[in-house]
Amino acid sequence: MSLPSSNVLIQVIVIGLLTGGVYAVMVSGLTLIFGVMKIINIAHAAFMVLSAYLAYWLFTGFGIDPLLSMIGIVPLFFFIGKLTQRRILAPVGDDPGLLVLLTFALAITLEGVLGSISGTTIRTVRTGYTSSIIPVQLGSDLTLRLPLVRLTGFVASFLVLGVLWLILNRSNLGRAIRATIQNSEAAQLVGVNISRVRSTTFGIGLASVAIGGALFSLIFSFNGSSHVVWISKMLAIIVLGGLGSLPGALIAALILGVAEAVSAVTMTTYISPIVFFLILFLTLIFRPQGLMGAKVREG
Amino acid sequence: MSTIGRLLKRYWMFLALAVLLVYPLLYRAPYYHVVGFNTLMVATAATGWNILGGYTGYKSLGHSTFFGINAYLVAIAANQLGWNPLWSAPLLALVVALVALGLGWIMARAKGSAFVIATIAMLLIFRLLALNLKSITGGAPGLSQPLAPWSPEYSRMPFYYYMLFWLVVALLVSRYIRRSRFGLGLLAIRDDEGKANMVGVNTTMSKVLAFGVSAYFIALGGGIWSYAQTHIAPIFAFNILNDVDTVLATMLGGLGTLWGPVLGAFILIPGADYILFNFGASQIHLAVFGVLMVVIILFMPRGILPSLRDRLVAREETSSAFTGARSMEEMSDDRAGDELEVGETP
Repeated sequence: MSLPSSNVLIQVIVIGLLTGGVYAVMVSGLTLIFGVMKIINIAHAAFMVLSAYLAYWLFTGFGIDPLLSMIGIVPLFFFIGKLTQRRILAPVGDDPGLLVLLTFALAITLEGVLGSISGTTIRTVRTGYTSSIIPVQLGSDLTLRLPLVRLTGFVASFLVLGVLWLILNRSNLGRAIRATIQNSEAAQLVGVNISRVRSTTFGIGLASVAIGGALFSLIFSFNGSSHVVWISKMLAIIVLGGLGSLPGALIAALILGVAEAVSAVTMTTYISPIVFFLILFLTLIFRPQGLMGAKVREG
Repeated sequence: MSTIGRLLKRYWMFLALAVLLVYPLLYRAPYYHVVGFNTLMVATAATGWNILGGYTGYKSLGHSTFFGINAYLVAIAANQLGWNPLWSAPLLALVVALVALGLGWIMARAKGSAFVIATIAMLLIFRLLALNLKSITGGAPGLSQPLAPWSPEYSRMPFYYYMLFWLVVALLVSRYIRRSRFGLGLLAIRDDEGKANMVGVNTTMSKVLAFGVSAYFIALGGGIWSYAQTHIAPIFAFNILNDVDTVLATMLGGLGTLWGPVLGAFILIPGADYILFNFGASQIHLAVFGVLMVVIILFMPRGILPSLRDRLVAREETSSAFTGARSMEEMSDDRAGDELEVGETP
């Protein structure tokens, strides 16, 4: 392990922060769904890969930019989410073990379907601006070189997180969701339609991961089985942030984005995914409540 | 009930064993031996997994970690030390089970969803290690080991019989645990861990032990599989699909029952092979397994055996309402049946 020069390190940290911003939008739905339903949606990354594939097909087939195709994909995912929660998850009840297995089953179903349609070839969306780099002059000997797609992803993530924050804090639906997160029985007593809140939250969760998927398709390469690695990264982020906490997820996403980028430079790129799994492991064991959340050992 | 029926009810497993013993002799093509071996391997793994996932309710999705570790240990021992995998597989599986005790002790601190996540993370960590510790594992291309000494004509037949032997051992252990004080503690954890703790079950110790025992039979399968394959690679040895097979077989047959995991494996693995054989792409097999898992959880969450049992009991009750009281002999017969099936349901 050797430390690169401070200029390189600053560059790497900034890229890590940009990537972390994209991670934040990927996991925002996952942590929200856990908050409301106490379910770990193992299929979350598989839905993200599905969204990435839709963006890819729309791009290669019709030349529609992923940032534009979101407009169609996001509402679609909202309804898929609402339907999935009502028809598949709700009938099973509260057993967390069974629910996790169920979402896992959804994940491998999606993987199988995507694999059958598209094979195992690694895909990525290459737009005209994919390799564009924006130089930012910071002082005489330090120029940051920011990849445009990551910068776009970062900005888009913050827009999405801002909208989510507005929904949660400035609307009646948001108030109902927050009430359900705090105490679902009490929320029901004061007239919150819990089952509606749950299906809507699941819809919002998938809608946000649809955006995550479109950004993902611009930055990373993927195939049908990519979701296994990505769900582990996502889980590491939301567990570190504290399950159910949106601000926690944002902070953890930035921390892990930087940790991953730095470890890729200082050690090897092979080792960097291990950073996620070790942090996941250690958090579960030594600080199960994460940075900003309630204890999840019972989850 | 006729005499034959009664005998069948009591001794059906010996009949089943006889069929399994004769099967490779009747179907000589290597293909049948491969499918038979895989079925027995998954049945053994599922029986082991069930001791943790079924009895305590802690459903691991990362137990194929131990499958992979032992597959590598056996291959390395064969290459470096010349150990014969047939005896080193069960021996090294003990070492793996010890490792599993340590990991289980860490993992037992998590519950519900957190436990499942931790097990998946465990699998991915070990897969990354297998991919990157090139000097030990050979990296992505994997490791080869010496071929089995017998003529290729017999193909997997010896492996088949060896695996069958270990399936019987796994079932005996599972049955023994089910009836022991330790097993009762495990079931109590599944029903209500807090209360189990309160009435004096050492829940942590019980969970960790169950973790280790279940890991043993999965590791054992990995060791024998490694020898049968002669060449292993990380993507096959540390594959979450191995967990899918195991978990799905258990859920299909009956979670927490003695015979359920075996029944599930005997339906699932030949079925999956049929799909693979007729439709080719392994990706479809994945989708089918996924849908099957959703269907089982939605419509038959307890699996085939408990559902069948309920139906039989319901039918007997309605019929006895018409024929009057049952004789003492019949009732004791039922009890014998209970013991055989053991699978009391959650």
